[in-house]
Amino acid sequence: MAAGTSNTVKERHADDLFKEFKEVSVTEFFRKNKAHLGYSGKVRSLTTIVHELITNSLDACEEAGILPEIFIELKQLGSNHYKFVSRDNGPGIPVKHIADVFGKMLAGTKFHRNVQLRGQQGIGVAGVTMFSQMTTGQPLIIRTCTGDNKVYEVKLLLDVMKNKADIVEEKVFEQAWRGTEIEGEVKNVQFNLGDKGPFEYVKRTAIANPHMKITFIDPEGRKTVFDRVSEVIPDPPKEMKPHPKGMDTDDLLKMAKTSIGRHIGSFLTTSFSRVTNAKVAEIQALVSFDLKKNPRKLTWKETEEIVAAIDKIDFMAPPTDGLSPIGEDQIRKALINVLKPEFETVVSRNPTTYSGGVPFQVEVAVAYGGSAGRKVGEETRSEIMRFANRSPLLFDPGDCGLTKATQSVDWKRYGFRDFEHAPVTICVNMVSTFVPYTSAGKQSVSGEEEILKEIRFALMEAGRKFQRYHSKKRRDIEREARLNTLLKYATELAPSVARLTGADDEKLLSKLESLIRRKLKYEVEQEEVDEQLQIEDDTAGDDSTEVGGKEAPLVEEVSEEDEK
Amino acid sequence: MSDKEVIEKITDFGKTLEKQISGSNPPKMTIPVRGFSNVSFDKTQNLLRLGSKTSNRNFLNIAHARKFMQTVLISEKCKEFVSRGKTASIRELYYQLKHTIADTKENTFEDQSESDPLIVDLETSLGVLREELHLKADDKGTLIGNIVIEDSGDTIDCSKLGRSGLSIPSIVEHYKFKKVTGDYILLIETGAMFDRLVEEQYHIKNNCIMVSTKGQAARGCRRLVNRLVSEKKIPTLMFTDGDPWGYYIYSVMKAGSMALAHESKRLGTPSIRFIGMTMTDIDEYGLTKVTEKLKDVDKKRINELLQYPWFQKKEWRTELLMMAEKGVRIEQQALASKSLEFVAEEYLPQKIKESKFLP
Repeated sequence: MAAGTSNTVKERHADDLFKEFKEVSVTEFFRKNKAHLGYSGKVRSLTTIVHELITNSLDACEEAGILPEIFIELKQLGSNHYKFVSRDNGPGIPVKHIADVFGKMLAGTKFHRNVQLRGQQGIGVAGVTMFSQMTTGQPLIIRTCTGDNKVYEVKLLLDVMKNKADIVEEKVFEQAWRGTEIEGEVKNVQFNLGDKGPFEYVKRTAIANPHMKITFIDPEGRKTVFDRVSEVIPDPPKEMKPHPKGMDTDDLLKMAKTSIGRHIGSFLTTSFSRVTNAKVAEIQALVSFDLKKNPRKLTWKETEEIVAAIDKIDFMAPPTDGLSPIGEDQIRKALINVLKPEFETVVSRNPTTYSGGVPFQVEVAVAYGGSAGRKVGEETRSEIMRFANRSPLLFDPGDCGLTKATQSVDWKRYGFRDFEHAPVTICVNMVSTFVPYTSAGKQSVSGEEEILKEIRFALMEAGRKFQRYHSKKRRDIEREARLNTLLKYATELAPSVARLTGADDEKLLSKLESLIRRKLKYEVEQEEVDEQLQIEDDTAGDDSTEVGGKEAPLVEEVSEEDEK
Repeated sequence: MSDKEVIEKITDFGKTLEKQISGSNPPKMTIPVRGFSNVSFDKTQNLLRLGSKTSNRNFLNIAHARKFMQTVLISEKCKEFVSRGKTASIRELYYQLKHTIADTKENTFEDQSESDPLIVDLETSLGVLREELHLKADDKGTLIGNIVIEDSGDTIDCSKLGRSGLSIPSIVEHYKFKKVTGDYILLIETGAMFDRLVEEQYHIKNNCIMVSTKGQAARGCRRLVNRLVSEKKIPTLMFTDGDPWGYYIYSVMKAGSMALAHESKRLGTPSIRFIGMTMTDIDEYGLTKVTEKLKDVDKKRINELLQYPWFQKKEWRTELLMMAEKGVRIEQQALASKSLEFVAEEYLPQKIKESKFLP
């Protein structure tokens, strides 16, 4: 082996190796988990960026009690190359926190907080910094002001070695403003108007967040404004103690290790909801060791015993006051604002639990006509908008329990002759402290029996409301057609009779016309009486009772035998 | 019924409607139900009779409105025809009334098939005959033989019309029978058989009057035979194909039809007897080889006839059941398998000589 050349292999110091390892780890972590973090596929990646920007703004505004006003703009710079700008009227970010929020992956994780959170997808806005840096090498530009007339403008990159922000440039200028503006460049993404694209995400977010005003400018320069229709800022979700059911050994052991309780009994009663001393006694009877033990000394084996015991014991259902649904009235306003449907109905179920302990609540809405449904070319298709804790789920609809529950409803019964092609939008919002996603991608909810049942019941009730509206509308259309037909023939009949008898044809015609109108008006009154009876029937019925359509009896129908 | 009375009846019909409308009542008219459900068979007279069932036509019922309006338009137009002393064909009536309804793309009548049945509705509900409404249908049917008719001052000698004979008009009320010397009337279903018999000079050699109905007999043809028989007391025989359709044509000539049951007395001729073709003819004349297989519609029709009260005479049941059993039908012209002359020289004379008729 020749010596002295500069290319000889030389031994490397462990520090170097570690440095490289660390560098690899953050980038690698991101690359390996790209799909789970929402950055897979050109369209989806762009949607995820928009999602992170909007979520960041919404969360900040709501925490500060500010009615959110958000602006998003996308500009195309080249093939698969875009610029994004987002701006909000939020509280602004104190300068010392800027680096953490935008420059540190997995900072401030919501891990182990039993709170219903919007941002259960993605990894926060630092992911945006990471992705744009990975695809363009460009820094994120952040302008923010907390309202003190000092606007901080920061250009930052993510230092992958240290997993912290690398501030490239920083300046301060004076301006009377409050909020945060984020600007960046990204490649390897693509914009479209499809049902998985950024526009659809914005639209659905508007439906789930009627207290928000959002302006969206797409790469073609089309500007869409979804106005605020509600002045009510949703209450921030409350943190709740977890319910013992649904805990697994690993979770329980981790909590025990960090517990400050003196023995396992007190750890269980203070850390979980619905665990009383009586329940601890029941657990004690089922395990082989003394629960007076220090919780920090709990072993895996013992923890397994506790989990098995919990499984056998009945606990009170968890409290549901931590759930924050959108609310019937809010959804209705948002639907009218966004879809301008000719008919809409919202059904909200009472909170309940699934798999024995996780509280959840279902809200559904059916919007018909207007711009409800999806236009695919010339064709209209029904669409299902899925939400988990107000956050739109755009991907993996096929695997999702929310989709399955919606499709399991026999829509024909409710007057949808061809549901697939009906101009209808079905919204399903699943609210829970723990949404059971089918995969780490967090885009589809697993089909737990209790969840499916609640959604079905809610949709069936909404279906019945639609049917009442629809059959009334159909009757109105038919009546209108009958009226026109009769009036049409009256213009021939009355003059003919008048010519036969020498009567005044105009007088006769107006008499005949009023006769026709009176008959049809009588029918309407009859129907209204029937409708009222039908509603009383419905409300008296059980959830699962489905009421079939009832035709109003026709007034004085004489049938004619017509034989040859 | 005089023209004046007809005009009064139509005017009264209009007055009733006017009264209903002025009094804010739904305009209605009552029409006797026509069809099997409202027809009975009078065995003693051998005639179909219209029952008393009626149906209401209500203008405010969407299913009736168009027909209601059309019926009134027809009545108005008929009143005009009668007043002006004009007679129109039912097709002319259709064209007179067809127009676009103001501000629509719809016509008062789209097809003559819409107006034709309503004319009968009007006849039955007013109790007025079609000819009294000054309406006529197309000519159908032919007559030849020793009969002299006076038509509006002209004299027609039906033995001197060459081979074509007299085309029977829709209305024959004005005919006067000047001289009828034929011994009997022979009614023939098909035009082809009529032509064969004319060429064989059957009517001359046998001194009879021959009438072809050319398929199902029209009103004019039926009325002419009815008048000849009732006024001149002349025996009548009918000669049709040996199939359910031919037999039904015979029954209409004899007992009247369901659609015009209200006019059976004027259109039916109960004294007619049936000469052929019968099912027994097939064996008797050795025609097995020239029969035709029954189709499904033929079989269905046989079963329908078996249900009709006026086909319950045992001779007719026997014929129909035999036809169903053999599964064949026999046409008049199948006799040509023997020879062209056979029908005129042997078949008919022999049957008449032996009086082999069905009732």
